[in-house]
Amino acid sequence: MKFLEKPFGYERVLTKEDLQKKVVKKKGPRASDWKSTLGRIWKIVDEQRALLVMVLLMVVVSSALALIGPFLIGKMIDHYIVPGNFKAMLPMIVALIAIYIVLSVSLYLQNYWMIGVAQQTIYRMRTGVFHKLLRLPVSFFDKRQHGELMSRATNDIETVSATLNSAFIQVFSSVLTLTGTFIVMMYLSPLLTLLTMTIIPIMFIAMQWITRRTGKLFKEQQAAVGALNGMIEETISGQRVIKAFSQEERVKEEFREKSALLRKTGFWALAYSGYIPKVMNALNNASFAIVAGIGGILALNEYVTIGTIVIFTEYARQFTRPLNDLANQFNTVLSAIAGAERVFAIMDEPAEVETGRLPADHQLHGAVAFSDVSFKYEQAEEEYTLRHVSFKVEPGQTAALVGATGAGKTTIMQLIARFYDVDEGAVLFDDVDVRDLTRETLRSQMAFVLQDPFLFEASVYENIRYGKLDASDADIVEAAKKANAHDFITKLPNGYETVLTADGSEISQGQKQLLSIARALVADPVILLLDEATSSIDTVTELKIQEALEVLMQGRTSFVIAHRLNTIRSADVVFVMQKGELVEAGPQSDLIAKGGIYASMLKAQEDLA
Amino acid sequence: MKTVFSYIKPYKWPALIALTLMLIELFVELVQPLIMAKIIDEGILASNGDAIWLWGAVMFGLALVALISGITNSYFSSHAAQSFGYDLRNELFSKIQSFTMATYLKFPTSSLITRLTSDITQVQNVFFMSLRIMLRAPLAVIGSMIMAFAVNAKMALFLVIGAPILLLFLAFMVKRGVAYFSHVQNRLDRVNRVLQEGLQAVRLVKAYMRGQYESSRFEKVADALKFDTMKALRTMELIMPVLLLVMNFSLLAVLWFGAREVSAGSAQVGDLVAVVNYAMRMTGAFSMFAFIIVAFARAKASAERMEEILLIEDGLEVRSGQAIDFAEEQLGTVRFNNVSFAYNDTPVLRNVSFDVKQGEKLAIMGATGAGKSSLLSLIPRFYEATSGTVFVNGRNVLDWDLDALRAMIGFVPQQSLLFTGSISENVGWGKVDAGLGEIEAAAAKAQIHEAVESFPNAYNTRVGQKGVNLSGGQKQRLSIARALIRKSQILILDDSTSALDVKTEAALWDALEEERATMLVVTQKIRTARGADRILLLDAGQVVGFGSHSELVQTNELYKKIAQSQQEQGEHS
Repeated sequence: MKFLEKPFGYERVLTKEDLQKKVVKKKGPRASDWKSTLGRIWKIVDEQRALLVMVLLMVVVSSALALIGPFLIGKMIDHYIVPGNFKAMLPMIVALIAIYIVLSVSLYLQNYWMIGVAQQTIYRMRTGVFHKLLRLPVSFFDKRQHGELMSRATNDIETVSATLNSAFIQVFSSVLTLTGTFIVMMYLSPLLTLLTMTIIPIMFIAMQWITRRTGKLFKEQQAAVGALNGMIEETISGQRVIKAFSQEERVKEEFREKSALLRKTGFWALAYSGYIPKVMNALNNASFAIVAGIGGILALNEYVTIGTIVIFTEYARQFTRPLNDLANQFNTVLSAIAGAERVFAIMDEPAEVETGRLPADHQLHGAVAFSDVSFKYEQAEEEYTLRHVSFKVEPGQTAALVGATGAGKTTIMQLIARFYDVDEGAVLFDDVDVRDLTRETLRSQMAFVLQDPFLFEASVYENIRYGKLDASDADIVEAAKKANAHDFITKLPNGYETVLTADGSEISQGQKQLLSIARALVADPVILLLDEATSSIDTVTELKIQEALEVLMQGRTSFVIAHRLNTIRSADVVFVMQKGELVEAGPQSDLIAKGGIYASMLKAQEDLA
Repeated sequence: MKTVFSYIKPYKWPALIALTLMLIELFVELVQPLIMAKIIDEGILASNGDAIWLWGAVMFGLALVALISGITNSYFSSHAAQSFGYDLRNELFSKIQSFTMATYLKFPTSSLITRLTSDITQVQNVFFMSLRIMLRAPLAVIGSMIMAFAVNAKMALFLVIGAPILLLFLAFMVKRGVAYFSHVQNRLDRVNRVLQEGLQAVRLVKAYMRGQYESSRFEKVADALKFDTMKALRTMELIMPVLLLVMNFSLLAVLWFGAREVSAGSAQVGDLVAVVNYAMRMTGAFSMFAFIIVAFARAKASAERMEEILLIEDGLEVRSGQAIDFAEEQLGTVRFNNVSFAYNDTPVLRNVSFDVKQGEKLAIMGATGAGKSSLLSLIPRFYEATSGTVFVNGRNVLDWDLDALRAMIGFVPQQSLLFTGSISENVGWGKVDAGLGEIEAAAAKAQIHEAVESFPNAYNTRVGQKGVNLSGGQKQRLSIARALIRKSQILILDDSTSALDVKTEAALWDALEEERATMLVVTQKIRTARGADRILLLDAGQVVGFGSHSELVQTNELYKKIAQSQQEQGEHS
């Protein structure tokens, strides 16, 4: 009994409430959830209707031929072999050869086309998720693990793929055979047919019992896979820290826990879904017994002939086999739905809303202003990250943002780039609210050197070209020279063609920054945002690129964050941030003269130097 | 596949029980027609109602037995398959954890992820299926074959005429299938890779409006995956029609020659019909057979990919080394003796020698790409020197027990990598049993305590992956706190204060002074270097200066240049 409560030590995943809730909700949103998920998959599948029709046609052909073959063989035995009419067999054999060839070809074709339809559908779903991910607001990614999101575009979609390849053909051909057999059975004996049908209600109840469990379990299983994927991605990306702190054992332990959760849900999902063929088999056997037993009694009373019973049991078998197939397919479809739901959940996330009214080619002049801006990253938070910030930067000016860490400097940059929308007030470009500009307008005229430089697994050329896709190789070399990156690039094994790896260590952090500066130089923007762009670069090199940066900043509106205050010596205006508020603003000379916070910061730095 | 399959061993009993239960089911299925015959012969023909009831009941009972064994099988096979997958997954993950940093460079994260999830699922599913249905198809084929031979060996011979060709064909297809499917999994690696990049670079993609570009990059890899999956599946889809065709032709051959035999009087029509019947049953089992072969090829491809990892023997960290007691004055010393180092044949460090005394603070300076971070990564043995020796506590790092060595060292990497979790979890990361008091103390020393306290959830604030929701300086200070909590004798900071403002940084250095640890600090700032006991200057992987600030500023050209660069900038402002 204890074993039944906890087989092999697996705790139950589903509680009684879980199952009961399902029953109540059965008619409500859940049923429609199912349908809508299936409907959405169908919509993509249906885009290839022509191929789909061909597949169905081939299924009809192969099902028909599969029936005609044995039929002809029967005829041949009865009419030619038994009477010994040997010669007349030849045309029949030839006909059968033709039939079998067509049968094999039609089988191959239906699968060939179906694989095409299925994989195209998968492709569309996969790229759909990716497109969507790129259109989601930055805030969506703030609290999600990369690996978990990746799992949706791989593991979850794979469940759909596995199902689509086979389910469609199976379901259709099962329905065909089922109908055909049913007609023959009715013709043979309506009474026995009725007897055979008695198993159908039981089958429904059993299926409902099983799928109520598996439907939920499959979902939990996919979620567990996602969690595991998230953990794997994060630990492997953060390997250096794990090693530095000798935390391998602990990470393994954590992995085992997540892995055990997957095993547990997987165990129940597999066990319950394993019920289906067994229950179907049993019902199959039961119907066999019913037909044989009751049929036998009927035969005794001469309601039916023995021959009918014999043939009928054969047909009853034929009747339940496609039912069995259908039931099995139903289960894989459920697992596909569990995967697809997670995929569609991403697709249903609200994307960045395009509020721009002005045409995409609207030219920015470079004036940037904050008008009484307040902002917090999360609505639930009480504290605002920025409070009532107002300032104005004229076209071509360089503005420096200074202040302690966490004062809100990067936040200001992120609002200028419109990674987030303000909660109160407005960000203005040339007196136009940023929300009236399309993102295209804004970002095509802006370059951003981020705090954490990121390189793609691509050549140096491509990495720099990211700033401007139509830049020529010469432009890129030019930018790299300005950014003082040319020397080290030429020392790489393949120079500009060297393929960099995102997690590789072939180039240093400082060199990554030089490349991302080159990337911004190539972009040739109206507005330039430099967030700690030179923090990992040594001061001698910095001095060299300073000139290039100054040239770059000329005629452009630039925002610069730097903790080495001398990096920002050429700034036209300085904004001093403190705990989310703008406490001082103005030209450097004014601020120094004023003797306020900025002056004391400068003094502190000089004292320490 | 052998290595992967060895993970089945612990579950051989559940697996065997599952197989036995499956055989019981199969037995019931085979017996049924016999009972049916009994009902007809003893019941209906003999007009014996009782016999009908009796055999009907037996039949019903057997169906019940089949159901019970089927459902029990479900549990045993599910347990065996899931546990097999679980063990394999854990073993793979453990193996990956023991990779050296150099081995990681060979396997991209994305590929490791696929192997740990998708590949395991493939193998696990095939194992599960084989415990439940797979044996049935071969058994059905073999059983029918035996029966056919029993009926009339001569005619049955025609059924196996095609067999040698079929076997060759199948062997060929499996080989192709393994190659194709392993290609598919490699494509999946690429998809994972581009996905991961897209996610990591989400701000960059937005800043440069490269959604279109990224999408087309992704479309390319997704399209390649589609193409190869289609190729693999379509090739494998040949198996079933070909099997059917050969079988059907054999059937026709049986009919043709069987008919001759019959007309010659050397065989009965009944025999012919029976053999034809068995042949048809065999064809019925073939679709399952084809399915098994495809699944097997796919699983084999995945198993091979896993074995690639499981069988790695070089490139693993050697953890064990003897623990020895060190002389008091040796504790916390670091010495490089003529050390050279290269990444994949690209030389990074050349003949570097220096030493750091107990409690000393060494600043390391040099141009971008001079080899500063590489030098530091040799101390906790992330990488091993290509030549020369690194000593910690006077002992060659290669002789150290790896855990003991790393326990000596508080390491703050250049990029502050935080993990998803709360702030206290992140700070306490370096010390599993750390109490809140310790965590707060470490945070206070790292000058982050006040900032954390000002968060609504203080130390319970959730940090996103890589600390995305914190500012650069906050991340750096948390990363420092994480190292400080271990109270290590050697503290390594790889330019880890670059995002801090001057005041905070000064306070941080003051607090670190109190730690009395030996410190190796990479810095760009002369200001920080001046506070160090000695300064090591690197240029293009070589030591070009080593001494105190006052010495270097007199004698070293490069150092003078660096000092000047910061002086000059200072004067401008």
